[in-house]
Amino acid sequence: MKRALSSGPVLRLLLFALLGVFVLQSCASLPTSETTGSPAPAEASATTRSVLKTESTATTGSRIVIFHSNDVHGKIDNFAKVAAIIDAERKSGADVFFFSAGDNFTGDPVIDRYDPPGEPMVELLDRLHLDLLSPGNHEFDYGIEAVRKLSARFRTISANIYPQPGVLPELRPYAVLTAKSGIKLVVFGLIQTEPGSGLPSTHPDKVTGLRFSEPLAKALELKKLRADGQVFIGLTHIGHDQDLLLAKKMPELDLIIGGHSHTRVETQEIVNGVLIAQAGSDGQFLGRVDLLVKDGRVVEKKSRLIDLSKVKDEDETIKAMIVKFHQNPAMARIIARAPLEITGKNALGCLMTDAVRQVHGLDIAFQNNGGIRLSRLPQTITLHDVYTLDPFGNQIVQIDMTAAEIRSLIKNASEKRYEIDLQVSGISYIVREDAGQQIKEIKLLLPDESPLPEDRTYKVGISSYIASSYQFAHKDPGRSLQTTTADDLILYLQSGVNLGIYRNIQRAFWKKGAAPSRN
Amino acid sequence: MQIKVNGQTIEIFAGARVGDVLRKFSRNEWTLVRKKEKKVTDRYGHEVGLDGELNGGEELIIEACAPAEPCS
Repeated sequence: MKRALSSGPVLRLLLFALLGVFVLQSCASLPTSETTGSPAPAEASATTRSVLKTESTATTGSRIVIFHSNDVHGKIDNFAKVAAIIDAERKSGADVFFFSAGDNFTGDPVIDRYDPPGEPMVELLDRLHLDLLSPGNHEFDYGIEAVRKLSARFRTISANIYPQPGVLPELRPYAVLTAKSGIKLVVFGLIQTEPGSGLPSTHPDKVTGLRFSEPLAKALELKKLRADGQVFIGLTHIGHDQDLLLAKKMPELDLIIGGHSHTRVETQEIVNGVLIAQAGSDGQFLGRVDLLVKDGRVVEKKSRLIDLSKVKDEDETIKAMIVKFHQNPAMARIIARAPLEITGKNALGCLMTDAVRQVHGLDIAFQNNGGIRLSRLPQTITLHDVYTLDPFGNQIVQIDMTAAEIRSLIKNASEKRYEIDLQVSGISYIVREDAGQQIKEIKLLLPDESPLPEDRTYKVGISSYIASSYQFAHKDPGRSLQTTTADDLILYLQSGVNLGIYRNIQRAFWKKGAAPSRN
Repeated sequence: MQIKVNGQTIEIFAGARVGDVLRKFSRNEWTLVRKKEKKVTDRYGHEVGLDGELNGGEELIIEACAPAEPCS
């Protein structure tokens, strides 16, 4: 009885305390998609895909919001929406960061060919107050100087890039960011390297003065950084598969924000306790990560993608900048003058293949007629003309081929419509058909009209479209040379080549067989 | 490098992108993905773009989009 009488106030106190804990916890916990009644105005119509609430023992804590993008590749049209979303969140008083996981450059000629290259992207990221950039392989496509300018403007991190003295002096392996709440975020960067070359996937000339190491091995050396802050993040450009491996090997991480593979991580993914995020490509999505930090560690984390096609609000200033950037005056710049117009598939194809062969020092180059999208180039040739002639952005692929393999390629191409399909540089060729309209012979000739020697292999350049669409025998699977056919043509035209040679030029011939006898 | 598409191994040039691998696997499937009638995912079910960059050994799956959730 005594015990029962005395337990009344204690029970009430306990219940009160429990209620208090519940209320505080509700306030401190991250809103889940199910409980988010009213998202920020700019996101009101955005897609909320996934939520996973991890351990939630907090009664108080600090909220941190990280917006992230990757592989935007010069697609700037959604930046006004991104600005509206990030600004709305910043105005709400939250601790907000904006990270880029690389490859902002390359993919839209209007941006790539700006003077200086990529300038619109840099200006827009600056207006969005980009906090941290981990460069991707395509950041180097414009050359080291463009990356130096980027790293001078934004905090740029990559732990597996080792610049020679004086090259990229601002690049750091990692950064420590301090939130308004005092929480420290330790973030390291990583860039993808190719297994064979050990270089990122860009033209080797673009990374002169830099050394690279394998990204996952480097990351493991950074485990000790965990102690330097309350939030430990990998901002990577190594592809989603590699991010998963990194998470398996490095449970010390709270979060990996990735890029390179253009993966839409729409359903929340936690591997080995590490949250993994990536926001697709081409600026179609903005990634958002919400963290709750308490007692020196992350106690809740969630991620989602914001589908920008469903966002209505736009920052009007940024919108006006985008309109202006699209009117890139450099596209109208004259890059070459020809004594006459260059007309017809034969002449244009010879010009395009000469460009590829010369730029890369190849023996032979091919271009399919379907990839030649103009019937004539004017005497004054602009950048716009080049991208109209060759709008597809196909990469150049080098395959080392024998004469027999080259014949196999020409035969497959010729059989598509029973006409010449491939324009060529380095050799000429004659396709002979028999009376039954079957291909009887393909003769390969050197420029002096002697037969192409059969006993050696040739460095052949073809577009990635031909390499992947045409069925032909080749032992060497080939490799991308990390330039596009349009890039090569611009370089060739700017080299001051005599364009008079492309008048009435032809290197591929079709000899019809005799008509079948009517007797 | 080798990439698996719908369980079939495709040998393709180093540096190929998702679209290149799809074209080599099947022009028809590539066309359907471009027309947004089908989509490509990685082995974990995440959608990947046609310009997505690949490492050897990765796996792609081409699948139809659900009528209720068309390809975007």
